[in-house]
Amino acid sequence: MIEHGPLLERLLAGEFVCPISDESGYRHLTNEETREEIDTYLRPLNRRLASNEDGSVYFLAWRQLNDNARDQLSRQLGDTLNSLLPLLEWLQLVQEALGRDTLAAPGDVLKPAEFSAKCEDNQSLRERLERLATDSFFGSQSDQLDAQVKQVFKRLKEHGYLLQPHSERQVFVVTGKIDYLVDLVRFIRDEENLPIEEGSEEGSGSQEALL
Amino acid sequence: MSMGSNGEHALESRLLKTGSERLALLGKHADVLMQAYTRDEVPLESLSDSALRKLLAARILWRPDEQSGVKLAPKVRELIAEMLADETRRHVNADVAETLELIRALVHSYREARSRGEHWRLEQQLMRLRQEVDDLNGRFADAIDSLWQRLNSDFGFVSQLNDKIRENDRAQKQIARLLDGLALIDFDELIELVGSDGSLRKLLISQLQQQLSNHYTGLREVQRRLIELMARFRKQQARSRLISGMAAFMREHPGFVPGNYARRSEVPVLVNQAAPLSAAAAPALDRNLDSRLLAELLHQLPQPRHTTQTVEAAAPAQAQESSLAAARQQALKQDVEHFYMSVIDQPQAEPVSALEYLRESPLEWPDEIWLFQVISEYQGLPRSDQKAFRLKQQESQASQFNHLRLIHDVELQLAV
Repeated sequence: MIEHGPLLERLLAGEFVCPISDESGYRHLTNEETREEIDTYLRPLNRRLASNEDGSVYFLAWRQLNDNARDQLSRQLGDTLNSLLPLLEWLQLVQEALGRDTLAAPGDVLKPAEFSAKCEDNQSLRERLERLATDSFFGSQSDQLDAQVKQVFKRLKEHGYLLQPHSERQVFVVTGKIDYLVDLVRFIRDEENLPIEEGSEEGSGSQEALL
Repeated sequence: MSMGSNGEHALESRLLKTGSERLALLGKHADVLMQAYTRDEVPLESLSDSALRKLLAARILWRPDEQSGVKLAPKVRELIAEMLADETRRHVNADVAETLELIRALVHSYREARSRGEHWRLEQQLMRLRQEVDDLNGRFADAIDSLWQRLNSDFGFVSQLNDKIRENDRAQKQIARLLDGLALIDFDELIELVGSDGSLRKLLISQLQQQLSNHYTGLREVQRRLIELMARFRKQQARSRLISGMAAFMREHPGFVPGNYARRSEVPVLVNQAAPLSAAAAPALDRNLDSRLLAELLHQLPQPRHTTQTVEAAAPAQAQESSLAAARQQALKQDVEHFYMSVIDQPQAEPVSALEYLRESPLEWPDEIWLFQVISEYQGLPRSDQKAFRLKQQESQASQFNHLRLIHDVELQLAV
């Protein structure tokens, strides 16, 4: 068990463990025996190991849901929902600013400088970033573009969506917690029966009709 | 009004004329354009100056920059690729049937030649059979090779996800046709056809079977990978749509609040995320062995410098008085902690007098304040840590009329 000490500490601290955030820890967790060992260890702490559906990210869940746990979960859910729109808008902004046709995914490298440069050249992106950065979730107090971008990246790092491999270099890597966020969005859509399409073919259909 | 519609009519007929002229250009220079397609650059020697001008004006050809040669316009290249892809796809099937037909005919004439003892013709037919088999093989191998190339580049020749999905779909259909082509080759029939002839058997049965089975495995592998890649493309597409859909929904419905999933009898896995817990640890002195180690570690720590000035400078003016006092209290506490460390460091766990320590040090605390802090530090320790030390007070009665006792000094010692 002692060899999993650092991994356990990260999990207990509320971190999400994915191949990006902790490669060897994640590898250990893909082993069922290790998972069982850790679960046994966590039992007296009223916690258990949990993962998202594709097992791309691991975190700790309450084992027994007592009133305290439910209170804490309610508060946490409220926080998550408050931060949901800013996070989704950030994902869209990154996708558009960097001219990608896919969402930022675990392992993608993001550079604040590149992001700033793209927003600087485009008034509409600039305005959207400004709105986003001054949102209470990101909480930038500055009216300077670079400072706003820096604050946004800092908050995303604090929340575990981004990882900064070298503290002195402004290069960030997207972690598996993004997968968790997308799963949560899908879950809310399904639970609340929201009219949001996911697998529609309209994009390719309309283009084929043009040919 | 009538002028306007006349004008429109004229425009339309001019468009039609230009359009047909330009389409005709494609046909007229089909050979040169196809050479350009295969070689990347237009072979200018086979075009007259005026033809080149017309093709450039029609944007069928273009010159990317002054230095480079004349090339096919990307749209035209795409168009040709599109037409050829369909053509090759349709043909693999027909080709296999045709090749099989030819092989049957060749086998018949080969046997005829053999029964007549025409050795030269026999050799001729065998050679042609070999060529046909090689050709058939080559066609499959080329098709598979091109499929791998497209796959390995992640369909990098198109940039949009939608186009990648379409290209992937097209490649999968091509594989289906190639597999259909392979299925046309019926080895039972071939076995019957070649009979007992050793050379034919080797060529058409063992060799061909081996090669085709490799192609089959290759095709299945490409197919599997294409399907995997397609699933990835689709997943990426779905994520993107989900996120933009949810963002749009939340913008339109600012008051949207989903149910409180935490209150359900069965809390969903994704929502059940336990509160963080820090696995804190503090230096403990309840094990002798550890105490020595801790003492060493403490010794290695850089001496913290008393930076009362900075605290003073950073504090707002009206709070100066209290923060100064707090800083002094903090400094005193630190100095007393150093005293405790020096006690831990005593080689034979000898007692150390607090006042003696004070006098020997450069510290300038009044004796009383110093002793008071040493004692209160001891009292502030958790019980388990208190046991690690022995605090001895040197005291005397203040007067014979009451029980007030005066503390002159304290001695601190590690309890061994």
